[in-house]
Amino acid sequence: MPSVCFYFEVHQPYRLKPYGALQVGSDHEYFDEKLNAEVMRKVANKCYLPANESMLRLIDRTDGRFRISYAVTGVAIEQMKLYAPEVLDSFVRLAETGAVEFVAETYYHSLAALYDKDEYREQIDLELKLIKNEFGQTPRVFRNTEFIYNDEIGQFISDLGFEAMLIEGADDILDWRSPNFVYTVAGRETRLLTKNFKLSDDIAFRFSNQAWGEFPLTADKFAGWVHGHSGAGDVINLFMDYETFGEHQWKETGIFDFLEHLPELLFTHPDWDILTPSQVIDRYPALGELPFHRTVSWADEARDISAWRGNAMQQRALAEIYALGADIRRRNNSHLLALWRRLQTSDHFYYMATKSASDAEVHDYFSPYEGPYDAFIHYMNVMKDLNLSVLAPAQKQLRL
Amino acid sequence: MRVLMLGWEYPPHISGGLGTACEGLTRSLAGRGIEIDFLVPKLYGEEDAPHMQLLGAASAAPMIQVPAPVAAPDPLAELIAAEPMLGTDPIVTAAAEAARSQAAQGSEPGVRVLRVPAMLKPYLDQATYRELITTGALQESALDEIAASQVMNPLPEPPHEISRLEHVHIPGDDLPFAEEAPTGAHYGDDLFAEVARYAMSATRRVHGQKYDLVHAHDWMTFPAGIEIARRAGAPLLVHVHSLEYDRAGRGADRDIVAVEHQGLENAARVIAVSYYTRGLINRVHNTPLDKISVVHNGVYARETIEAYTEQRTSTGPVVLFLGRVTFQKGPEYFVQAAARVLEHVPDAVFIMAGSGDMLPRMKALVEDLGIAESFRFPGFLRGAEVERAFSTADVYVMPSVSEPFGIAPLEAMSHDRPVIVSKQSGVSEVLRNALKVNFWDVDKIASQIVALLELPELRRVIIERAREEIRHIHWDAAAEKLVPIYESVLRG
Repeated sequence: MPSVCFYFEVHQPYRLKPYGALQVGSDHEYFDEKLNAEVMRKVANKCYLPANESMLRLIDRTDGRFRISYAVTGVAIEQMKLYAPEVLDSFVRLAETGAVEFVAETYYHSLAALYDKDEYREQIDLELKLIKNEFGQTPRVFRNTEFIYNDEIGQFISDLGFEAMLIEGADDILDWRSPNFVYTVAGRETRLLTKNFKLSDDIAFRFSNQAWGEFPLTADKFAGWVHGHSGAGDVINLFMDYETFGEHQWKETGIFDFLEHLPELLFTHPDWDILTPSQVIDRYPALGELPFHRTVSWADEARDISAWRGNAMQQRALAEIYALGADIRRRNNSHLLALWRRLQTSDHFYYMATKSASDAEVHDYFSPYEGPYDAFIHYMNVMKDLNLSVLAPAQKQLRL
Repeated sequence: MRVLMLGWEYPPHISGGLGTACEGLTRSLAGRGIEIDFLVPKLYGEEDAPHMQLLGAASAAPMIQVPAPVAAPDPLAELIAAEPMLGTDPIVTAAAEAARSQAAQGSEPGVRVLRVPAMLKPYLDQATYRELITTGALQESALDEIAASQVMNPLPEPPHEISRLEHVHIPGDDLPFAEEAPTGAHYGDDLFAEVARYAMSATRRVHGQKYDLVHAHDWMTFPAGIEIARRAGAPLLVHVHSLEYDRAGRGADRDIVAVEHQGLENAARVIAVSYYTRGLINRVHNTPLDKISVVHNGVYARETIEAYTEQRTSTGPVVLFLGRVTFQKGPEYFVQAAARVLEHVPDAVFIMAGSGDMLPRMKALVEDLGIAESFRFPGFLRGAEVERAFSTADVYVMPSVSEPFGIAPLEAMSHDRPVIVSKQSGVSEVLRNALKVNFWDVDKIASQIVALLELPELRRVIIERAREEIRHIHWDAAAEKLVPIYESVLRG
């Protein structure tokens, strides 16, 4: 009996304000509070609130047979509390249905996995505590920032005790394999659920693309494609940004109607059901190991980590922020630690990417700045001020 | 397709981007099989134009003196001597020039430069023109040519447009210098008279020629363009490289604006060098937007001259302003930004290269700000000096108040220099790999300069990507866009 598994990513970074070189030394407010509030409220109204309403209604209407999973980053939850508390309330209501699973993440949506494993573990712990506090769940399943994955990360997560990870179903990794089965981390029992990127992206990226041969995509047509996999897989993993609903794909495109009708149409085939990630690994056995010969993510054409560290600017910025780790942890100052961690959020580095063509369009879409150079300049100016005004004076005090 | 182009200057004797633009555009158009006669008001005889054919003025050829260097006899001068009359046998000379240019560089034949003596040069305003006349800075020989051509070849009929123009624009009481022109009385003592006179000479120069299109660059050629197009029964395109508004802002000369307006009204199509300029034409002149097509300028990529980077004399990083030191180019914002940069990068050196009416004020300003020791004013640079300036700079800044396009940043980029350009420039529309600022945002300009000086990764990524980018901002792309515009105008 095959299944569909829905997973939605919910994340909002603390965006830096445009921070010029002349501000260094005198301005220690780094984040663009006005913009961050604006974005949170905008996305709440266009996506989070109406989409959560839809999800609640669907769960109710199907007696909990429609099931979904989320990762909600710590920084997103913090900003919901600050700027749109009703959004968090509605996620709590979703948690109470019993049909919604919360998947673990790094609290700061960072790249710590690639730079600082101690920090990585701490950010995962923070997120676990947050999910327990807010939603009353203890996640069994983990998904890393932007689906960044390699064998080493898989093994690290496995050693932390997670039972499964959600990852990108990259073509060159799967090779002859189908994404529609459960695999395991190389050398471990921990399961891997691989995103069916074709079907996921049909909704997330192509839904409103009029140049696409399958436009317009109806729920009926999509359910038919899913049903076409009967007998050829255990689980179709549909993983996407939650903002697909109402933000990336506007309400006017009919995305909410699509969502409204999809579950019942999926259920018209008696063999198919909808499960959360934990239910998937409880039901389906793993087919075998899935070894990775490179680091994969779900970003850009290349589906690698070049979106965050593809150029010299990104590499410099990342090297600088992680070089501060030992110093900052030693100070044991919770405010400073949180500040340092907010500066680790992967979006900062994503904005600095110098990609071409369609990748650049996606980066531009998300970036609050005029381009990668401004993103780098603002970030490095903030780093300079952090070093000069926050870290250096504190050091002097210690010596006294 | 045969096009008559009316331009103002041609490298190496240029005072701004217009000459460079005309060279680039004509080369690429010639490469696409467009046959071009290029009319310029003055010819020095040193132009590097193997793709063009140079011909003497029909009326006054024997009197024309081409000041070619003695050491290197100029083939262009020979041509001029060999071709006293336009239209007598252009095919033969075209073939001769084609052979010559292919032997030299394999460049495109198909463009002829036609010379019409006139006391005009780009970016003239009335005051400067008057100064040139009164100081005798315009060469006597050139004046003689004009006089001779007028005496020898009176026009068969007075051109209607020109006489109207003279009537409208000959100034009255508001011009106290009008009666003072001691040396230039018989050539015309105001710029508009000269523009009209040029229109007459130009019209005479191409008399009897057949053209499909007349393509006029910037206001001083518009009256000539209008008249020639009218006589030839050919549609007129006017190409706006800059408006009087760009050059002078609120101090715009109303007479010049009127000539611009006349050109825009009479044109079948208007070409703007940017969307910025297209918008400005529409606002200033009410020209409908659908009559204005945008063709961005290009650049010819060149190899960086690395040798210069070793010849640096200053110890600190170098920030360059290179352009006319006039209102339009925003030099005071450069100076103000420099003062802020120096607070963060005290050893930075600022070079303001160029001449212009604001230069004395800029020198005074750096004195007032106490930063004169960090400033250099080398004056107007040309040729190799320009190359050297770009090559020794760490950052190039173009803080223009109103810049229709702005080729200089592309030149800087072709020297592997990172650039900061104002958003009030056309070139900012086509560049991704430049830092963009509002010209008035002195703090931001300063901040971006500091960033470029302090962050080697920023420089490296910008330079690498800019190198790739300018390969695509090529004149061929401009010609590719222009040819269909020609065709659509010809279809009506």
